Amino acid sequence: MKRAPFRLPAQIGERIDRSRTVSFSFEGRTYDGLAGDTIASALASHGVRVLSRSFKYHRPRGALTMAGQDANTLVQLTEEPNVLADTTPITGGLEVRGQNYSGSLAWDRDAWLNAVGRFLPVGFYYKAFYKPLGAWRRWEPVIRARAGLGEVNLDTAHRYYDKAYGFSDVAVIGAGPAGLSAALEAARAGLDVLLVEENPVLGGSLTYARFDADGALGRQRLAELASAVRAESRITVMTGAVCQGLLTENWLPIIQGNRLHKVRARQVVLATGSVEQPVVFRNNDAPGVMQGSAAQRLIRHYGVRPGRRAVVVTGNADGYGVALDLLDAGIEVAGILDLRATPPHEERTDAVRARNVAIYPRYAPWEARRSARGILKGLSAAPIVGHGKCEPADVRLECDLLCMSIGYAPTAQLLHYAGGSVVYDRAAATFAIKSAPAGVIPAGSLDGAYDLETAIADGRRAGMQAAAGLGAPSRGEPPAVRGKNASGWNHPWPIFPHPRGKDFVDFDEDLQVKDIRNAIAEGYDHIELLKRFSTAGMGPSQGRHTALSLARITAEATGRELEIIGATTARPPYSAEKFGHLAGRGFEPVRLSAMHHRHLEAGAEMMPAGLWLRPAYYGPKDRREAAIREEVEAVRANVGLIDVSTLGGLDVRGPDAAEFLNRMYTFAYANQQVGRARYVLMCDQTGAIIDDGVACRFHDWHFYVTATTGGADRVYQTMLWHNAQWRLDVDITNATAAYAGVNLAGPRSREVLAKLATDVDLSAPAFPYMGVRMGTVAGIPARLLRVGFVGELGYEIHVPASAGEALWDALLWAGAPLGIKPFGVEAQRLLRLEKGHIIVGQDTDGETHPYMADMGWAIAKKKPFFVGARAIEAQMKRPLQRKLVGFTLVDPAEPPPEECHLVIREGAIVGRVTSAAFSPSLSRVIGLAFVPPEQTEPGARFSIKVAGGRMIEAQVVKPPFLDPNNARQEG
Amino acid sequence: MRTLDPAQFARRSFVYRRLVGHGAVFADMGGGVVAEHFGAAEAEAVSATRLGLADLSPLPRIGFKGRGALAWLSGQGVRGLAEDNRADRQTDGTRAARLAPTEALILSDLTATSRIFERLTTTWRLETASQCYLLPRGDSHYWLHISGEHAAAMFAKLCGVDLRPDRFAAGAIAQTSIARSNAIVIRSDQGSTLGFDLLGDSASADYMWGCLLDAMAEFGGRPVGRAALMRLADGASR
Amino acid sequence: MKIMPCPLNGPRNITEFACAGEVRVMPDPAAASDAAWADYVFMETNGAGIVREWWCHLPTSYWFIAERNTVTDEIVHTYPAGDVFSARRDFAPKPGGGA
Repeated sequence: MKRAPFRLPAQIGERIDRSRTVSFSFEGRTYDGLAGDTIASALASHGVRVLSRSFKYHRPRGALTMAGQDANTLVQLTEEPNVLADTTPITGGLEVRGQNYSGSLAWDRDAWLNAVGRFLPVGFYYKAFYKPLGAWRRWEPVIRARAGLGEVNLDTAHRYYDKAYGFSDVAVIGAGPAGLSAALEAARAGLDVLLVEENPVLGGSLTYARFDADGALGRQRLAELASAVRAESRITVMTGAVCQGLLTENWLPIIQGNRLHKVRARQVVLATGSVEQPVVFRNNDAPGVMQGSAAQRLIRHYGVRPGRRAVVVTGNADGYGVALDLLDAGIEVAGILDLRATPPHEERTDAVRARNVAIYPRYAPWEARRSARGILKGLSAAPIVGHGKCEPADVRLECDLLCMSIGYAPTAQLLHYAGGSVVYDRAAATFAIKSAPAGVIPAGSLDGAYDLETAIADGRRAGMQAAAGLGAPSRGEPPAVRGKNASGWNHPWPIFPHPRGKDFVDFDEDLQVKDIRNAIAEGYDHIELLKRFSTAGMGPSQGRHTALSLARITAEATGRELEIIGATTARPPYSAEKFGHLAGRGFEPVRLSAMHHRHLEAGAEMMPAGLWLRPAYYGPKDRREAAIREEVEAVRANVGLIDVSTLGGLDVRGPDAAEFLNRMYTFAYANQQVGRARYVLMCDQTGAIIDDGVACRFHDWHFYVTATTGGADRVYQTMLWHNAQWRLDVDITNATAAYAGVNLAGPRSREVLAKLATDVDLSAPAFPYMGVRMGTVAGIPARLLRVGFVGELGYEIHVPASAGEALWDALLWAGAPLGIKPFGVEAQRLLRLEKGHIIVGQDTDGETHPYMADMGWAIAKKKPFFVGARAIEAQMKRPLQRKLVGFTLVDPAEPPPEECHLVIREGAIVGRVTSAAFSPSLSRVIGLAFVPPEQTEPGARFSIKVAGGRMIEAQVVKPPFLDPNNARQEG
Repeated sequence: MRTLDPAQFARRSFVYRRLVGHGAVFADMGGGVVAEHFGAAEAEAVSATRLGLADLSPLPRIGFKGRGALAWLSGQGVRGLAEDNRADRQTDGTRAARLAPTEALILSDLTATSRIFERLTTTWRLETASQCYLLPRGDSHYWLHISGEHAAAMFAKLCGVDLRPDRFAAGAIAQTSIARSNAIVIRSDQGSTLGFDLLGDSASADYMWGCLLDAMAEFGGRPVGRAALMRLADGASR
Repeated sequence: MKIMPCPLNGPRNITEFACAGEVRVMPDPAAASDAAWADYVFMETNGAGIVREWWCHLPTSYWFIAERNTVTDEIVHTYPAGDVFSARRDFAPKPGGGA
C-alpha cells in the first residue's frame, strides 16, 4: 500500500469522501482510494496511468475522457468484463485487471504487433482470411485471443435485474446548464419533468469546466440552477442514469443500477451536450495524453493531479481555462500550443498570459515522445504552415501530461435514433443539428450553444418550447437565442498526419490517418461504407472521437465538401448494456387449475400445456411407464379421474346461438336437442382444422362449447372477429377460467357419481351417452357432460372454479372404496388413441382439412356456410394428397415408431406417423399416420422409416382400435 | 374471532394456500372465507397505508355482457354506467364498473352485506333479459386489492399504464396487461389511502400473487387482511 | 414503442394489441369463383399509403379497425368495427340445403 502522491488538497464540489479509505487491487497490487473514487481516479492518484492495451497493436492506453466515453479504460473485474474504469466506483476488496494483453499490462508480450503494424492494413481480416474456404475457422481463435476484450466469468452469481415503466410530460436528457434550465422552465409551466443525468451529480460541465478567470461563474450557475431544480417538486431527478435510446413515440430506455426504466415522455428535450475532440498526431494515444476536460474532471471531481508537467494544445478559450485549472492545481504548464495564428483577447486567455506561461501560437503537436513503457514523456511541436502541414519540429517540451482542447462534436446519438440528423457547419467548424423530429427538442451545446450563458438561455428556450408543445399555459414567448454555432470554439483542422504514422483517428480500432486514406483510395469513399470497411467508429466509443476527423479526412481525400460528406448514423444503444438489463425480472405467466395442489400432493409429474401445467402422470419419474399403464388400466377396468379444467369453455348465448355455431363449426347445430352434446370441429378460412370439442345445448339459446387447452383463446378471439362482421344476435363468453372440470371415466364411474349427485338421474335411459345435464354434485352446482374421449362410460363435470378442489376431493372420497385412480395427460393420450380420436395439432397440421383427417362425417354439407367450407370445397375438386389412417405393426415385437417418423414408398416420402404407442389393452402397437389415398383400405401395408434408418412394416386398421361398437362408452 | 380452515368450505379462494402460508386468520363472509388478518390487524392497517396486498376473491361480484346489458342493469336500479372504463359507487356501497358499452361488473364492498348479487342472479333469465348475459365473475376472476402510497410505483414495475394518482382518478379503470397477464385495474381508495382493485383470470391468481409480492418487496409491502382495509375505509367516514 | 389509440381503452402500448391483417369484406361464398375465394383468403392488397386493418386489444378481446399509413407507419384513425360492419350478414341457403 502506498500513499497517493497525486492527491490534491480538497476541491470545491469534489465527489470523494476523504475520511473513508477504500482498498482495492489492480493487476494484483493493492491500492488505497477514497470513497467516491472511480477505479481510474484512484489509480491516477497513485500515478498509475496504463489501464489497458489497445485492440490491434497492444499499445498501452490510459484515461482519455474520464467520462466513460472511450474504450481505453475498459478493465476486467472478477465477475464482469469490459467495465469502464473512469465511471465505475471502487469498492472494498474490488479486484481489477487490465484486458487484452499477454503477460502483464505493463510489458505485454503481444506488443510486437505494434512493430508489424504496417503488415496489418485496413481491411486486413477481410482480405487475408476469406480463402481458402475454412481459413477463417482456423485463424479466428488466434485472432480472437489477441483482439478480444474481457473474459466472461461463467461462475458469476446471478443478480436481480428488473424493469419499470415510467411516465413524464417532459423528459430532459442531460443535466448540464441547458438541461437544468430546460427542466426548470417546463416544470414552472406546470408539467411533470423527468431529468436524466448520466453522472452521479447534476451540473454537467458546470461541475468541472472553467468559464472565467477565477472559476467562480461555473460554481455560481451550478448553485443557482441545481438548487432551483431540487426545490421544484414537479421535477423527478434520475442521476447515474443512462438514456440508451430514443425510440418510437418518445419511448426512452433508461438504465439506472440494475433496473431498466421504460419511460414514455410526451416531449423530450435533448441536452446531451458535446464531446471534446482529440487532436490527431503521432502517438496521440500515449497514456498522459487526454482531453482538457478529462484533466479538469480529475482535478475537480476527484482531487487528483493529472500530471506533474503539462502541455496544453488548444484552439479556443476553453483550453486556457484548462491551463488555469492546471496551474491552480500546482501543475507546471510547460507551454500552450495554440493552433491559431493569433489567440484573441479573452478573459481566461489573458489570465493565462498574466501568469507567464509560454504560449506557442500557430504550433501543432508533431509527435508525442514515449518512454520505454510507452507512456508520455515529452512533446515535439512544429510550426503550422498549412492545412495539417508543419515545418520541421523545432520545439521540444518535457511533459507527462498533454491536454487537448480544440473543439467539440455534439453528442447527437439520441437525436440520430429518433430520426434527426446533423450536418457539418462551416462557421461552427463542427457538426450542427440539421433536423429534429416532432416532440424532440435539442438544446445547449448539442445544438451549438457552446458559450455558458448561451447554453442556459437555450435550455430555457427548449423548456418553454416543450411546454408550448403540450399546450401548457404560455409563460411568454420562447426567447430567440443568439450566438449558437458561432465560430471560435472549434478548430477546423486539428489533424497533423505524420510520415511514420501512429497518428490515431480511432483509438478503439487502432486506425491511423493512412488507414483511412487507404480505404478511401480502395473506393470506400462514402462515409458509411468507409466506416464499415475500416471499422472506424465501430468500437465501444461508437465514433464519439472519430466521426468528425473521419469526415474531415474523407473530405480532403475526395475533394468533396464536408457538408456533403455528412456524418455516420448512430444506432442504439447509447452505451453498453447487460443482458440482465434486457432480460429484466422476466414474467412467465403460469395458469393453475383449482386442483393443481392436489396433483402435487398426489406426486404428479407436471407438464406444460399452453400456459397451463397439467399432470403428465402420477408417480416418480422412474416409474413413468408403469404409472401410465396403471392409470390406463384403472380407466379401462375400474374408474379414473382426470383434471380437464384446462379445456376451453365458451358460453354461446342468444337467439342466434345455433346459427352462430353452424357458421363457426363444420357440423350442424340448428336441430340439436337441448340436453344433448355434439362434436364440434373448427376450421380456419383455408379449410385447415384448428380446434375441436363438444357443444352442449343447455337451452335453445345457450350452448356451452369446449375447446382444446391450447386453442381456447384463439377460438374465442376468432369467434369475436367473425361476429364483428356478421352481427348475429349472440354473445360469446370465454368461461374457461370460470369452470374447473374433471372427467370421471371408467366402467364404475356411474357408481362413484351416484354417491354424490343428488339431483340428476344417472340411469342410462335418463342420462344417455352424449347427454348433458345441469345439477349438483356434492352440493356444488355442476354441468354434467356424458362424453367419451377415452372410450369408457364417463362424465365430464364442470363446476365453478372456486369449488374445483372441493369437487376433486369429493370424487376421490366417493371413489376411494372402489379404488379410484387419478390419471394424467399421458394416460389420456393413450386411451384416446385406442379410440382413434385425433388431437388437433398433433394428428393434424396447418394443411389438414377434415376429409384429409378422414372426418368427412363431421361436415354438414347442406349448410349455406361455415368457416373454411368454401376452401374445403375448392380443395376437394382435386384428388386428396394424403389421408389419416389407423395402423398397427405387422411384427408384434416391434417397438412403436415415433411421431413424425416417415412413411416411405419406393424411396420417396409419402406420409408420416402422427401418433403411436403400445396399447396395454390390446397388447400391440397402434397409431395414426398420414398415408397416400391408395393405401388407406384396411389391411393395406406401408413402410415406416424409424430411428437409425430401419424400415418397419405397418398395416392399416380402421379405428377405433378398441371397442369398435362403442359399447363401453355408450353403456 | 373463530379461526376457520378454508379447506372445510366448498368455495375456496384461488390463493388460499398462499394465505394459509402467510398465517392468515379467516372469517366466513357467507359462502366464502376471507383472510381477515395475519395475526396483527393493528400493524397491518399501518402497512396497508404504505403497501399492502389483500385477497378479496371470496367477496361477491357479478358481471353482465351483451348489447342490452347496461339497459337491463339500469332497469334493475344500477346507477352510473355512463362512461367506459369507469366505476361508480352505488348507494348500497357496491360499485358498478362499465368495462365496455356491452359489459359491466358489479363489485361488493368490504362488508359484503348488499343483497344485490342474489337479487340480480335470481332476477336474470336468459329469455327475458334482452341481449343481456350473466357472467360468473366470482369464478372467472380473482380479486386482489393493493393499497398504500407506494401502490402506483409498485404497479409501474408490472404495468405499462400510468396509474399515478394524479393521472388515474378515483373510479378509473384500466383493462391491460399486468406482468404479461390480462387484468382489470380499478382505482378504489379505501378512505384516504390510495388503493387499486385488481381482477384477472382466476387460474393466474397464484402467478399474480407471486409477481405482486416480488414487486412489493422493495417497498416493504406485505399481505394484509380485510380488517386492515376496513380500518382504512372507516378512517375516512369518521 | 408505438402507441395504439384503442377506441375502447384509449392510447396503449402496441404490445397490448394483435393485428389481423387488412379489412376485407368476405365475398358471397355461393357466387365467388375458387380464384376469387382464394384471393380473399390468401392475398392482401399491401398498398403503400393508408390501409384499413383489423386490430384486437388482447386484454379485452376487443376488435376494432385502424387506418394506418404503411409508408410512415402512422396510425391515422381508429374506430369500432361496427362503423364498417353495421348490418347483419346472412348467407343464402344452398339449393336443397337445410339449416
